[in-house]
Amino acid sequence: MALADPAERTAARSGGAWVGTATLRRVGGKLGALALTLFLASLLVFFSRFLVPGDPVSFLLRGRKPSPEAVAQVTEQYGLDLPPWQQYLNWIAGVLHGDFGRSLQYRQDVSTVIGERLPVTLGLVLMAGLMIAIVGIAAGIVAALNRGRVLDRAVLIGLTVLGAIPSFVGAIVLIAIFAVQLGWFPSFGSGEGGLDTAYHLVLPSIALAIVFVVLVGKVTRSSMVDQLDREHVEVATSRGLKRATVVRRHVFRNAIGPILTVSGLLVAGLLVASSIVEAAFGLAGVGSLLVQSVDRLDFPVVQAIVLLVVAAFVVVNAIVDLLEPWIDPRSAAGAGAR
Amino acid sequence: MTTPRLPARRRFRRTTAIVAGGLGAVLALAGCTPEPSPDTDVEWELTATTDAPSGDIDSYTWVSYAEPFSLDYAYAFDYSDNQVLANVCESLLRLNPDYTLSPGLAEAYEHPTPTTWVYTIRDGVTFHDGTPLTAADVVASMSRHLDPAVGSSWYSVYQNVVSIEQTGDREVTVTEAIPDSQFNLAMGGSAGVVESAATLEAAGADYGNSSGGVNCTGPFSLEEWKSGESITLARFDDYWDDSLRAQSGEVEFLFMNDATARVNALKSGEVDGGWMIPFDAIGQLEASGVGDVYFGLSTAVSSLIVSNLDGPLGDLRVRQALLMALDRQGIVDAAAKGYGDVTNALTTESVWVGASDAALDSAFEGLEEYPYDLEEAKRLVEEAGATGEEITFATAPIGSDFNIIAQATAAAAESIGLKATIETVTPNAYTALFSDPSAREGIDLFYTVWYLSSPDPLEMYSVLRTGEFSNYGEWSDPEFDQVVNEAIAIDDPAARSEKTAEAQRIANEQLPWLPLFAGPMPVFMGERITGVSPSIAFLYYPWAATIGAR
Repeated sequence: MALADPAERTAARSGGAWVGTATLRRVGGKLGALALTLFLASLLVFFSRFLVPGDPVSFLLRGRKPSPEAVAQVTEQYGLDLPPWQQYLNWIAGVLHGDFGRSLQYRQDVSTVIGERLPVTLGLVLMAGLMIAIVGIAAGIVAALNRGRVLDRAVLIGLTVLGAIPSFVGAIVLIAIFAVQLGWFPSFGSGEGGLDTAYHLVLPSIALAIVFVVLVGKVTRSSMVDQLDREHVEVATSRGLKRATVVRRHVFRNAIGPILTVSGLLVAGLLVASSIVEAAFGLAGVGSLLVQSVDRLDFPVVQAIVLLVVAAFVVVNAIVDLLEPWIDPRSAAGAGAR
Repeated sequence: MTTPRLPARRRFRRTTAIVAGGLGAVLALAGCTPEPSPDTDVEWELTATTDAPSGDIDSYTWVSYAEPFSLDYAYAFDYSDNQVLANVCESLLRLNPDYTLSPGLAEAYEHPTPTTWVYTIRDGVTFHDGTPLTAADVVASMSRHLDPAVGSSWYSVYQNVVSIEQTGDREVTVTEAIPDSQFNLAMGGSAGVVESAATLEAAGADYGNSSGGVNCTGPFSLEEWKSGESITLARFDDYWDDSLRAQSGEVEFLFMNDATARVNALKSGEVDGGWMIPFDAIGQLEASGVGDVYFGLSTAVSSLIVSNLDGPLGDLRVRQALLMALDRQGIVDAAAKGYGDVTNALTTESVWVGASDAALDSAFEGLEEYPYDLEEAKRLVEEAGATGEEITFATAPIGSDFNIIAQATAAAAESIGLKATIETVTPNAYTALFSDPSAREGIDLFYTVWYLSSPDPLEMYSVLRTGEFSNYGEWSDPEFDQVVNEAIAIDDPAARSEKTAEAQRIANEQLPWLPLFAGPMPVFMGERITGVSPSIAFLYYPWAATIGAR
């Protein structure tokens, strides 16, 4: 019998020094890849703006009759008179120091503009993420344990139906029922901070979570089902362990890998989908800021947000990668251990 | 100042009030009920002012379609910026709801020579931080419009200015290169706003944004700016003018981009009031019984800008034919739900403040009317040899009226033998039509709702002079240029208006732009509040101060 069960592997491992260096090398490799990805992303993010038609300066002067000196001065102020590669170097040097430039539409530091809107989006994504995790994993477990029965079908159908509801439709329905009809939740704004903000974010979080629950739920179910059929589960059961213990230690723990991987992918999806939900609920978040900035040729803001989303995505996935061997040592040892 | 319709926000519904008799605008405001059009059974009349409040109110909320980009007066030229700023920052002159000018932070002004304006700065005025208003603040504030590093949106007001100097303890003198009657008339708007010089210095590049804020003299001070969501103003207790002391402790402006969301918020009582009610929502708001819709004076005219005179529209007969092929009353009924009147002029009578009766007669009576006449229109197109030629109409998904007018114009062009293409661009690209000549390439026509910020029709006609930035079709008529230039140099409003009337008649005959219709400025107040003076002057007049408890 191969030591396929991580619980047993952990027990069998002696904790030798080779694990430490291998881990270090792996972490180093991951960080290197992370830096490279971010660098390539920064190139893409920056130079893609030159493909977009339109002159940021004419937007800055907003259709009024400008003096020629003003046009020249404003062009210079924003460094738009420099060749693109030099603009990139200035930009990336600033970014490395935390300076993302000035927003053209708000005439304010990009970091301030985004900083003022980030808490709302983070709160929204966090709450939605929790909902997705709790509801999705619970639904997946329930379905897996009742595989083939009515409850399994019901959960699957329920998840599929929810997954088919676009965020903007979900938002409208939620507002109509819970804000307008029942009056339980506010329909607009992010509240006064703290608990009030959490209260304001309940409906938006649900609207955002709905679509993604199906993903986590289905992955949880199939991953659990996959594990339930494994030999080690039968062995554990045959040893006379309680069902709850078997499920917790031998099934769910093994099943968590794919769930984590999907969750990592969700981060980008949540950040992008938040723009729709934010618009529907009148939330001033980063998502709605991105959409608005694209339309207004506010390149510094667009570049900063896209870079942040890319960074968040890459970093979360790197964390997931690094966490995996801790949860499932098989992945650290490589496929050969299976 | 003229403002191109910047469509990223809903600019469409602004249309114009017709005021019978420019000089007596106050009296005339009350009595203008147009004939209900046959198709839509709407009735509306202009209201000069609503019932006075029964007392003060702690706070009320007001909805706006967009967040201001900035509260820096140098960039404030849009509905969203100006409707907030008007209550916080004041100008040298005050633009009243009837579009007359009266003394503001300048208690008096003189015009000793044709090229100098001397302003006497009011004593006893304090900024929101408690520091007193001085002549140095005025010089610093005005000089920013000339600073290329600022890139002021109001630069054109200052284009003839040579110097701005403090010439006495409380005296500021502006010297211009040529006689320019329009400069002083613009001092009631954002071009005349006075900010504390110390604040300008301290805030630097962050002046006017949500971190830098503003420090002015208005009846309200800026209390809180929650980026993307709301701006809260608080009553300024040391405000100098008792007649405009704020009747509310606070006003909270909420930003809702979606028109339906705005109307719902008003209907549910979540929000107390708002300007620029979409015309298609007026019926349901009136029926809801939770408040009242009022119609105020406006200075805006909905027109089609002819942006290419090298194409078929370069022939006057084709322009005439197109206007005659447009069922303009039908457009008013469909696009403005009947809240408006067909007009043949590019200005409304409301901006002819100080005009003589003779000038008004000449400017508005007996204009060429271009009645709906397809046969005559077809004949004109044939005569011009333009049958089968193509025109391109640019529009954007901004509001239903944009769509209706695009379709109507294309249909009209087709009906007289032209080939019409509708080119739909993004709202931002549509904005660029007003500022970027390259964006106008291949575009023959586009729609605008053009409002005037100064109580003088010359603000409109000066932009149609040869070579002007906003003369998008590069239309050129030497006689017109001469008339406008002569008018600008005339100080006496009555004499000037007679000259301006000539310009209006030329524009009516030559059709550099095709005038469609003008309608009122709608405003809604819920059942908690009253006291506003409905008028497009809400862009510059501290309108929120007069609102209190119903």
